[in-house]
Amino acid sequence: MKFKLIYPRWEKLEGQTIFNLPPHGPVVMAAEVPEDVEIDFTDENVEALVIDDSADLVGISMMLTTQVKRGWEIADQYRALGLKVIFGGISTMLHAEETMLHADSIFLGEVEGRLDQVFADFRKNDLKKIYNFISKPPDMSLIGPANRDILKKDLYYHKGFRMVDLFHASRGCIYDCYPCAVRYLGGRGFRPRPIDRVVEELSQMDNNRLFIVDNSLALDTKWEMELFKAMIPLKKKWVSHTIEDKNEVLDLAAQAGAWYVYQAVFDTSDYIRNRIKQYHDYGIAVEGTILLGLDNQTEDDIKRLVDFLLEIDLDLAEFTVLAPFPHTKAYSDLLKQNRIFDKDWNHYNAGKVVYYPKHMSPDKLTELFHYAWDTFYKEEPQTMKMFNLINRVMSRELSDGTFTPRRRDLANVSFGKKVTDVI
Amino acid sequence: METNPAFSKYMDQYFDYLGHWDSPSKCGLKLIKRKDGKTLAIATEIYRQNPGTPVTEVVAPLATQILKTNSEKPDNFIFIEHTPDLRSKLTFYGETFDRLEFDWNGEYFSNPVWTRLSKDEVNRMMEG
Repeated sequence: MKFKLIYPRWEKLEGQTIFNLPPHGPVVMAAEVPEDVEIDFTDENVEALVIDDSADLVGISMMLTTQVKRGWEIADQYRALGLKVIFGGISTMLHAEETMLHADSIFLGEVEGRLDQVFADFRKNDLKKIYNFISKPPDMSLIGPANRDILKKDLYYHKGFRMVDLFHASRGCIYDCYPCAVRYLGGRGFRPRPIDRVVEELSQMDNNRLFIVDNSLALDTKWEMELFKAMIPLKKKWVSHTIEDKNEVLDLAAQAGAWYVYQAVFDTSDYIRNRIKQYHDYGIAVEGTILLGLDNQTEDDIKRLVDFLLEIDLDLAEFTVLAPFPHTKAYSDLLKQNRIFDKDWNHYNAGKVVYYPKHMSPDKLTELFHYAWDTFYKEEPQTMKMFNLINRVMSRELSDGTFTPRRRDLANVSFGKKVTDVI
Repeated sequence: METNPAFSKYMDQYFDYLGHWDSPSKCGLKLIKRKDGKTLAIATEIYRQNPGTPVTEVVAPLATQILKTNSEKPDNFIFIEHTPDLRSKLTFYGETFDRLEFDWNGEYFSNPVWTRLSKDEVNRMMEG
């Protein structure tokens, strides 16, 4: 049986450096597909999709809201050919009712231990309209190594440099952060994977550079420290979201290969200043994630925030405008106040303003979004700052013997496409 | 939840409801019988203590369920959504009250419209 698995393309933010990372959802899902099923995977962000009737079943995995319309379009074309289409992934859950209009089946929740039944149903021509496992999380020990063999790995190189692979060590979150839907997607509890299962998967990964995509590693100190201890011998270098700012945690994180962390910067307080300094003291770089357009921000606040970011010596900064994704408090609040004016999901890319900000017009917020990017990267462009980070990780890899030179045969190729400006 | 026969004037409770995709959910619920005979329902979002869907996202079916559980008539039913102050460093988690207006089709509420209320307005509404 042949299963065509598709990760739809989306439009990248204008003017920003494009990095296509190997997707995570499809490889986690693929690990649970029955062994006798042949998987043919296409990531539309790095290769063209050919729609034909050569598969038995089509799966569409969607992570972002900006993927859903393209996902629905693909599904409509396959269904016109008579093939059945099942959807899964984060944004299938966020947009479930709408997605059902384009699907033979949707899968909601986490896949571990559930896909044998789905494929058995398909074989009996009894695919259910909904497989609903929301609120029924699987036993975390069932989460095995993701199946990264489905990826065409050469497509995830930029001028010979391999992109990081995505990896997760936990699911769920205890917090209810304003722009985040993890509470709905992964539940309100923090669910760490058993450390031995995490190490098992990490040991099998041939990429030394990783992005640990967990919402936050800072939710269980004991587990977090055990995780970092267990990771030290693996010598991986990794990027992650927040880790705790306790000295003993940061020390272990640095030993475990923390390369840089994403840190939300929401004000100009000493708390933020000290936190960035603390990461730097342990040799961990920081990429600030800065959300613009919140109700407590005026034009002056945003300009002051950008000045502050330059002052605290952030290694990188990523500016986004608030996108009120469904199932977030931001969405609920703006909905109540009737402030969302644009429901075109392609515009929910965190670069377009789809609601009325409290203290300025949508156009002014768009202008400030561009101002923030331009001002922060005026003295040193984003590519140069990234190059500095790459240099730092390379020198660490050279010193611990894990360095892999860039692929010369892919030096003039960027994500599967030939480029001319070879460095 | 069963109808509480003891409810004559005032009742505070946790209220269980089904959220999106049947996820078990919970809110705080204050019911007040006003002097004018109307029932005022205040549904409070309890954030981390709510394992499922927030009140806002299912406010119309939730209001329907509260109405039916308490054998009320739509014309005699006033519904307020409440979010408590979480004392967060962020400003988005302050206390808010919103009065809901719905369409009623004889069976259930739909098309919610929220109107922000001050605490004083809520206090006055509790009197009736």
